[in-house]
Amino acid sequence: MSGIVVYLPQKSGVAGGGPCGDAVTLRLGPGEVARFGRGSATTFVELRLADEAISRLAGEIRVTDDHWQLSNHSATQSYVVENPEGAGEYLRVPPRRAGAPIPFEFSRVVLPTRHGTTVAFQVFAPDHVYMDPHEIGGPWGSRTVTAYSLDESATYFLVLVALCEPRLRDESAVAVPTTPQIVERLRPHAACGRLTARAVSSHIDYLAGEKMRISAPAGGEPGREGRRNGKREAIVGLALRFGLVREEHLALLPPRAGAGPRGRETVG
Amino acid sequence: MHGPEGPSGSERTQPLPRGYRVGSWEVTEPIASGGWGTVYAGRPVGDGTGPTADREDVALKFLPTDGLAPRQARKVAETARREVEFGLRACHPRLIRLLGSLVLSDPGRPFLDGTIVLVMERAARSLRDLLGTDVDEAEGARLIVEICEGLAHLHRGGWVHGDLKPDNVLIMADGSAKLSDFGLVTELTDTRGTHGYGPPMGTFDYLPPERWKAPLGEHGVQVRPSVDIWALGIVIHEMFTSGASPFPGATPVSRAAAAQEYADGRAPLRMDNAVPPFWRALAADCLAPTHDARAAHTAESLLARIAARQDPEAEPADGAGQPPSGRKAPRPWAVLRGRARAALVALAVCGALAAGWAYAVRDGGSASPTGSRGPAATASAGATAGAAGRIRVFNTEPSCGDRGDRAPECSLGLAIDPLRPYTIDNVVPTRVWHGDVLAVDCQFPHGVPIVDEVGTWSAQWFRVRLPPGSARSTAWLPAVRTKDRPAIPQCPRPTPVR
Repeated sequence: MSGIVVYLPQKSGVAGGGPCGDAVTLRLGPGEVARFGRGSATTFVELRLADEAISRLAGEIRVTDDHWQLSNHSATQSYVVENPEGAGEYLRVPPRRAGAPIPFEFSRVVLPTRHGTTVAFQVFAPDHVYMDPHEIGGPWGSRTVTAYSLDESATYFLVLVALCEPRLRDESAVAVPTTPQIVERLRPHAACGRLTARAVSSHIDYLAGEKMRISAPAGGEPGREGRRNGKREAIVGLALRFGLVREEHLALLPPRAGAGPRGRETVG
Repeated sequence: MHGPEGPSGSERTQPLPRGYRVGSWEVTEPIASGGWGTVYAGRPVGDGTGPTADREDVALKFLPTDGLAPRQARKVAETARREVEFGLRACHPRLIRLLGSLVLSDPGRPFLDGTIVLVMERAARSLRDLLGTDVDEAEGARLIVEICEGLAHLHRGGWVHGDLKPDNVLIMADGSAKLSDFGLVTELTDTRGTHGYGPPMGTFDYLPPERWKAPLGEHGVQVRPSVDIWALGIVIHEMFTSGASPFPGATPVSRAAAAQEYADGRAPLRMDNAVPPFWRALAADCLAPTHDARAAHTAESLLARIAARQDPEAEPADGAGQPPSGRKAPRPWAVLRGRARAALVALAVCGALAAGWAYAVRDGGSASPTGSRGPAATASAGATAGAAGRIRVFNTEPSCGDRGDRAPECSLGLAIDPLRPYTIDNVVPTRVWHGDVLAVDCQFPHGVPIVDEVGTWSAQWFRVRLPPGSARSTAWLPAVRTKDRPAIPQCPRPTPVR
């Protein structure tokens, strides 16, 4: 269990993050707590949300097991936790609720402000555990499992399958797809119509950094492009070697246009 | 949470009928099952040529490959290869003996065809089963010593078990403990013998805290003997608490989180008072929060501490006539001495059994031998040294067999190094198709075993010539990719390619 990551994006004006409005990233291990709110000299908060409508101590986050809990210290305001990947899925944490468990791997915590705007920060919980395939039913606690759990319904998993697709189809000499190629490949998918190149890059960074914890390949080419390619190659190599992505996952991808075996072109 | 899981784990495969014949054994009853397969009890059957009375009952571990895509079948084969490779090299009275392995050929039962079977020494039950009963201090102490002996032997030989837990400590009919399940065994491969790399797998309750932050490198996660020492600390605690972990929590996930809190220094280690003080101190050292702190405690040093405590007088003990696991021994130290002698005898017995096994399997009609002993028999080393032969590529995929369009999905790969895992980074750019005829120099019988799509298993490889202009002049074709077995010389052991 490595804990969670809290990310407060940089914002100018009312909704500033750190002391100077910088972006803030917090890593919390199991049992650790982070408080959020407007803060003051006497009310310390780890996550400062500079809006006068927000209480000095608005709430707190506590890491529990593989997830986290949200306590709402406000007496009047409800907070909303959205799942950005859940097609509108969200939950409302009412005033004074203590320790509401948050089930999403990706969350956006939204606090209302006075002017009808909102302040939000993100929480990632990469430790969520998924059982290995073929392990459905029966106790799993004393079983040997793959120590890297991926959510096969998440967008990052689609990105991973798309990255691995050429090698899974045994076009082994083909290079790992580029970000624009991934965007193009996933566009027909219902959940990825508006997927941007930037989002794909974030998903790749999340996979490499938080999920698979890939150690930097030694002796890679210098320069940004080289490093980025090294990371993609490493993700694909490890995902295939340790069976995180398998042939059956190709079915998650939208059908390929015109790239199938000969003869399909005339049909399509 | 406990031991052999219910029938749910085996729904994927059909149960084997009682009396099903495997080599020279027949299946009697299921013992346990998991996502990887099922373990059955087996007993020797007579083939009319010799007595069966002197042959022991066995455990038959079935690893099915049916219905798996080639890549998964390769993964099963890889796990089996680790066990077989380890089993053939390791032999110790504290380790469950691998008696052999074979691949089922049973076209009449597609769900069994291609299944890899590991034949192992038969135990009475697992330590997990035993923890449900009351283990008194003397028995707990003896079992811990035996587990430590197994670990000490592994670590001395440059191996890490990687999945120590009560389910993988088996209790023999005489009550002695042996370590089993060597699918995650990792060899310490670095130059100083301090660490190796293994698959990123394990069991939640027994993984050391640093594993949750361990980076995944090209060859897997770093594995060091301290992984086993942490797990041993958990097992020592469980021994005296009917299987309760030292870390609080209702689920393995919350216990793993609690272990992390402890390792990060936010929570103390709170062990159950039921653990006797000496063993509590020992477990606490095994559960030192970091690898560095734990590295001071080795299986050897723990054994020495236990021995020193059990026999302060250090009276020379005569172990003669002592069974290897004297349960009622008045002086545990005497048992230790007696056991050292038993170990030497058992070592010799191990070798004899392994040889007998290879012979037995070759005669067992329904199975083909595998492992480092078997496949050499299928390719007779040619008498005409230097004479190259020709082999025709064979693709088992029926839809690829009769099409001549060299479609990419029907192409087959050639390996750079037959001693390294057959993965994407170990293939040359040149592809071959069904029906291609390749010039072959020689054959190598002891490469990485390859399972093809229909379950044929072979560790034999052919060194073939690549077309002019290729980056390399030769590459390796797995023997499962051709039906031909030309009389050609055996290749020298290939030098590792990096």
